[in-house]
Amino acid sequence: MIHFKIISRIIGLLLLIEALFMTSAFGLSLYYKENITTAYLYTLAATVGAGSLFLYFGRGKERNISRKDGYIVVSLCWIFFSIFGSMLYIFSGYIPSVTNAFFETMSGFSTTGATILDNIEALPPSLLFWRAMTHWIGGLGIVFFTVAILPIFGMGDIHLFAAEATGPIHGKLHPRISVTARWILTIYISLTIINAICLHVAGMNIIDSVCHAMSTMATGGFSNKQASIEGYQSPAIEYITILFMFLGGTNFSLLYLTIFKGKFGELLRDSEFKCYVNIILIATVGIMAGLLLTSVPNVEKAFRDSLFQTVSTVTTTGFCTTDYMEWHPLLWMTICTLMYVGACSGSTTGAMKCVRVAILGRVMINEFKRIVHPNAIIPVRMSHKIISAPVQSAILAFTVLYIGVVMVGVFVNMAFGLDFMEAYGLSVTYTGNNGPALGSFGPAFSMNALPDVLKWFASFQMLVGRLEFFAVLLMLTPMFWKRQ
Amino acid sequence: MKIVITGAGAVGTHLAKMLSVENEDVVLMDESEERLGKLESLFDLKAVVGSPTRISDLKNAGAGNADLFVAVTPDESSNINACIIAHYLGAKKTVARIDNHEYLLPKHKSYFNSLGINSLIYPEKLAAEEIATSIKYCWMRQMLEFGNGALVMIGVKVRSNSKIINIPFRDLQRDNPYHIVAIQRKNETIIPRGGDMIEADDLVCFMTTQANISYIKDICGKEKFSEVKNVIIMGGSRIAVRTAELVPDNISIKIIESDYARCNKLIELVDDRVMIINGDARDPELLRSEGIDHTDAFIALSDNSETNILACLAAKRSGVYRTVAEIENIEYISMAEEMDIGSVINKKKLAASNIFQMMLNTDVSSVRCLTFTEAVVAEFPVNEGSSITKRAVKDLGLPSGANIGGLIRDGKGINVSGNTIIEPGDHVIIFCLEHVLKKLEKYFNK
Repeated sequence: MIHFKIISRIIGLLLLIEALFMTSAFGLSLYYKENITTAYLYTLAATVGAGSLFLYFGRGKERNISRKDGYIVVSLCWIFFSIFGSMLYIFSGYIPSVTNAFFETMSGFSTTGATILDNIEALPPSLLFWRAMTHWIGGLGIVFFTVAILPIFGMGDIHLFAAEATGPIHGKLHPRISVTARWILTIYISLTIINAICLHVAGMNIIDSVCHAMSTMATGGFSNKQASIEGYQSPAIEYITILFMFLGGTNFSLLYLTIFKGKFGELLRDSEFKCYVNIILIATVGIMAGLLLTSVPNVEKAFRDSLFQTVSTVTTTGFCTTDYMEWHPLLWMTICTLMYVGACSGSTTGAMKCVRVAILGRVMINEFKRIVHPNAIIPVRMSHKIISAPVQSAILAFTVLYIGVVMVGVFVNMAFGLDFMEAYGLSVTYTGNNGPALGSFGPAFSMNALPDVLKWFASFQMLVGRLEFFAVLLMLTPMFWKRQ
Repeated sequence: MKIVITGAGAVGTHLAKMLSVENEDVVLMDESEERLGKLESLFDLKAVVGSPTRISDLKNAGAGNADLFVAVTPDESSNINACIIAHYLGAKKTVARIDNHEYLLPKHKSYFNSLGINSLIYPEKLAAEEIATSIKYCWMRQMLEFGNGALVMIGVKVRSNSKIINIPFRDLQRDNPYHIVAIQRKNETIIPRGGDMIEADDLVCFMTTQANISYIKDICGKEKFSEVKNVIIMGGSRIAVRTAELVPDNISIKIIESDYARCNKLIELVDDRVMIINGDARDPELLRSEGIDHTDAFIALSDNSETNILACLAAKRSGVYRTVAEIENIEYISMAEEMDIGSVINKKKLAASNIFQMMLNTDVSSVRCLTFTEAVVAEFPVNEGSSITKRAVKDLGLPSGANIGGLIRDGKGINVSGNTIIEPGDHVIIFCLEHVLKKLEKYFNK
């Protein structure tokens, strides 16, 4: 049974909160005396109006929401956020096309970071700030933000949380979900501020450093420069960005335990974190060797480029300091494969997450062992805890679904005339919320050249990927809508 | 001495029988009348039906004026609870059997003392320690360490290739870095005198220092025994789990357990070094597919003593040179010895020797049991003015059935000869038959 009233009420509330975020960008706009005040007023009016309307429809005593409602709320609120968020671009005239504006906003909220803009520098500061803001909100999740700030949903919090959280296993730091959310939010905000200060010290102006800090911590990928981080020509900024992308890809609960409780051992013992670090190390060394052998003779440059590109890809940020399409084909194919991995669960990253990759690896090894020892009972262990069979099969199902969505994406892209390399690259990058793709949609190009249909499809892929498939795809199944 | 034992399981019953034979006043309490059975008519003890955690029942059983209260039910919480109540009622000393090695950590000892629990015993852990040493030194039957390893007692089965057989003792004992305290021949324990000789297939108890272990290995003709690398354990009992934790990291272990649900529990208890296999370890086909012919040690720890004996025999036939069997029927131990099953593990004896120690009035550091004989090895600290310091060893007139193995002075192990005079501050290691232990008390009192 679906509780439409409470769903409507929650979405109304969330839209009012989005209006609140927009107001902060509006304030910035007034400060910089930009001449797009009317665009802000129209958008705010539309958002607040729609929010109030939803609240009005949702009035009543109903308080409990079910798991099912949780999935609907989360999917719908991401869509509504993108719709109203895109109005700013449309009304201000900087992205007049509805398709492009929606794509850009969805790319923002889903922390993909693929842009259709061909001249980012022309955007006024407040719009750049709003662009980065969409990343920052989407990084931890729209509902997460709300739960952390004000626990308004009462009993339903946990269902909303479960529908939006990423990764197969959700650990709680505190018995109450809202307190856990607040602790994680504290880490998120503090790291963003530290990141902004570091970037400013390294030479960025204030608005750029704040925007990049938000984009980096959310592992998004929007930059205020068309050429991404490469546009700053500063190794210091690159190293700072590497560090904070890495932190953005680390499990925030673990970061909390490490930073505030001093449990450093917890971090080192965590199987997922070990897997994350190992993947980055191996990929960096491999790519660096490849670069030294082919195009880049300078050791430091090769190290920096390979580390930056690896961390940026594994954390699904999608910043670039170099156009990897100019590298040897083997290297850009490596990058494209890393897009599947993603960083740790419970972070702002997209894609499959290291924990799933690690578990899949162990499940596979166990199958080999089982052939040799048919009677053995071989557990899959992560951080000394046994992964139960239902979780294992959920991860296998997730993987099949992931590959399925990528495959469907390749088919759709090719149906509209893209060649295989572009079609594959785009499908992988959108499903994993990464950003740049391959070929003529590589780091050097924007996504503007895509046909409109494919932009809508890409938006869908980004949403499905960010919410880890089940939440959105469940609503497309008939059994979800059956009465019992 | 008045002793109340609650829990008429294997350990409790064994202890009750043993103590009643020693003429102590024993009360055995259990919730189930069935388990108490005909014990009362067979042995000189009192059987009481009652719950170990009910105050009135404990009062009835006489826990209030007991000199020693022993709680050995299978449930550790009940045991701890029972000891707390018994202490409250007035029991002088309490012992609880536990199943959690955390409780044994020294830092918690004073806390348990403050609760009124004087001593904790963990038979499964003692058993696991024995198994772990027998894997480490696979050529011996048993090894006990004293004074942090300053002295060791080693039990070795000697074969016809040994260098010390058929030599009279008076020739053998001279200037050697070891002391032979006893010989077990079939069912007989011999404390050797000058004319006795070691025969092939005797089990010889050596007392020596850590440095001379390899010398003992040499004279016993055991050089060919190499290090154990692969171990198969039959039965995923608590002992098996503790053993898996204790053996060195370079040894790979397979635990074969027939109960599927228990297997799933086991994977949570052990780490990835241990492979859990679901199946019947008596099935030769399964053993072959799990590589029994490359296995160095086979340890049978199922609930059933007969099964364990048979499984060990089968493993020996497949070429495993080291087998260990858990045998809970004490009557079978000598049979197992005749059949050449390597080491024997008996939880009851391990627990009993521990509790024995509690009964002595004198301060004794430790009493350890020897599974292959009816004997124990005890470590006594020597106090100022105790009678043992007054004469040389040969003039002490120790009871027959006791033999001084060696002493530890300033942390160093020393072999004892007839002319040695024991000094205050020494620790004396004495080998003695179980019933003699009580008689040794007077030597260490003033």
